[in-house]
Amino acid sequence: MTGRLVLGALGVAVGCYGAWLMLSRGDGEDLRSAAVWLAGGVLLHDVVLAGLTLALGVVVTRVLPTPARAPATVALVVLGSLTLVAVPVLGRFGAKADNPTLLDRPYVAAWLVLVALAVVAVVVASLVRARRAAGGSRSHA
Amino acid sequence: MGLWLGLCFGICFLTGLVSHYAQEPSHPIPFPTSPSWGYRLTQGLHVTTGTAAIPLLLVKLWTVYPRLFERLPSGELRRLRALLVTLLERASIAVLVAAAIFQLATGLMNSAQWYPWSFSFRSTHYALAWVAIGALVVHIAVKLPVIRQALGGDVESSELDRPGATEQGVLSRRGLLRTTWVAAAVAVVATAGSTVPLLRRVSVLGVRSGEGPQGVPVNKSAEAAGIGEQQVGESYRLEVVGPSGTVRLSREELLAMPQHDEELPIACVEGWSASGRWSGVRVRDLTALAGATGGEDVVVTSLQESGPFRVTTLQGNFVDDDRTLLALGLAGEPLDLDHGFPCRVIAPNRPGVLQTKWVARLEVQA
Repeated sequence: MTGRLVLGALGVAVGCYGAWLMLSRGDGEDLRSAAVWLAGGVLLHDVVLAGLTLALGVVVTRVLPTPARAPATVALVVLGSLTLVAVPVLGRFGAKADNPTLLDRPYVAAWLVLVALAVVAVVVASLVRARRAAGGSRSHA
Repeated sequence: MGLWLGLCFGICFLTGLVSHYAQEPSHPIPFPTSPSWGYRLTQGLHVTTGTAAIPLLLVKLWTVYPRLFERLPSGELRRLRALLVTLLERASIAVLVAAAIFQLATGLMNSAQWYPWSFSFRSTHYALAWVAIGALVVHIAVKLPVIRQALGGDVESSELDRPGATEQGVLSRRGLLRTTWVAAAVAVVATAGSTVPLLRRVSVLGVRSGEGPQGVPVNKSAEAAGIGEQQVGESYRLEVVGPSGTVRLSREELLAMPQHDEELPIACVEGWSASGRWSGVRVRDLTALAGATGGEDVVVTSLQESGPFRVTTLQGNFVDDDRTLLALGLAGEPLDLDHGFPCRVIAPNRPGVLQTKWVARLEVQA
């Protein structure tokens, strides 16, 4: 218990140091903008992203046939997080006309290829599972 | 999963501290010049573990999402203590989640040079790193008994988080863990080619393909820095200021001095890196012309009109290193204008923003 208290106190001290760095070095505009982004990130995740995930979850568990559920879930987790990581390059928001070495790949095409690969993988895995399940029930009969 | 997420955050924090220190103008403890690829490694790790942490954090948050709607302990006054503890714990989690999302999102956007905010990235990302790590340590302290049980227990057991579970989910718990590893691995492989040459061809979502003039990408072009032909033409002179006075050298005079070749990486704070074969004059040979005796810091000023890194400090130990060049050429050709023609600083184990391009002046500090 003492160990945990010491660890907790250490964490509070480190966090407070960060807050002090922020408050003492940033000006009003820095702080306002950072606060918007801090709160905005949480809201975006907890409302938009989580809502979207729940909706997809409903689709997967209610609409898809049983053998496709697990493969679709795996594909959605992998592809969903990859898509989020790729937002800055897909949108090319940081692109600069004077610098062709930055954001210099065909990102949308690459992303579409990855989506197609994922769809193929889900279909193949679902068919394999369906056949295995059918074979399993036949051998039991 | 929490363990791996914690590990990623730990590596991000430590490599971030290294990078922040390397960018400070004065080093009470000298920043080492060797190995020359040190900063390339630490900053590559920083961006890679940050990218891997995104799927890990998402899955972690999704699995605990139902807890957001858990009721607070209510009722009699004797429950007040429990209520207080719960509120404090939730506050620490709110800070942790907000800081973690902020760090990963701003870091990711920075790696693609996308800045849709008005705060200073470097100081804010640095301050909130301390907040995130502090909140993480508090979280570990609070959860230590649960962590001990979970790590020692069966991975499939739902005893700790869903004691009332009656139905098997679509994925087993082990299945979800494996899926998350795959998601993290795919995210890393798809982007890490900007810093790992071996992955260049498969990193289809990498910020840079690694191509560029003379085989090296460009972070800030001459046009963006406001450098035109008239500043770097025949009338260009490098000014070297030191204890014995000021020396002015044309590019021809620089080329007439002893030339050296060094294979050194450019490793940008944004995470990309590339190795190049640079040729030029040793910086210490130049400062010696102005009377430097060794060990002095040198202030480097660029021809560019503005920008936070127009003026940088080259610390004494970097000046003294034989590999630190005022480069005049790259890959056997005269330096490209976008790489800093007529000459640029290239030193081992140093953040790219400090490898000043279009150098106008070297000033030896007393």
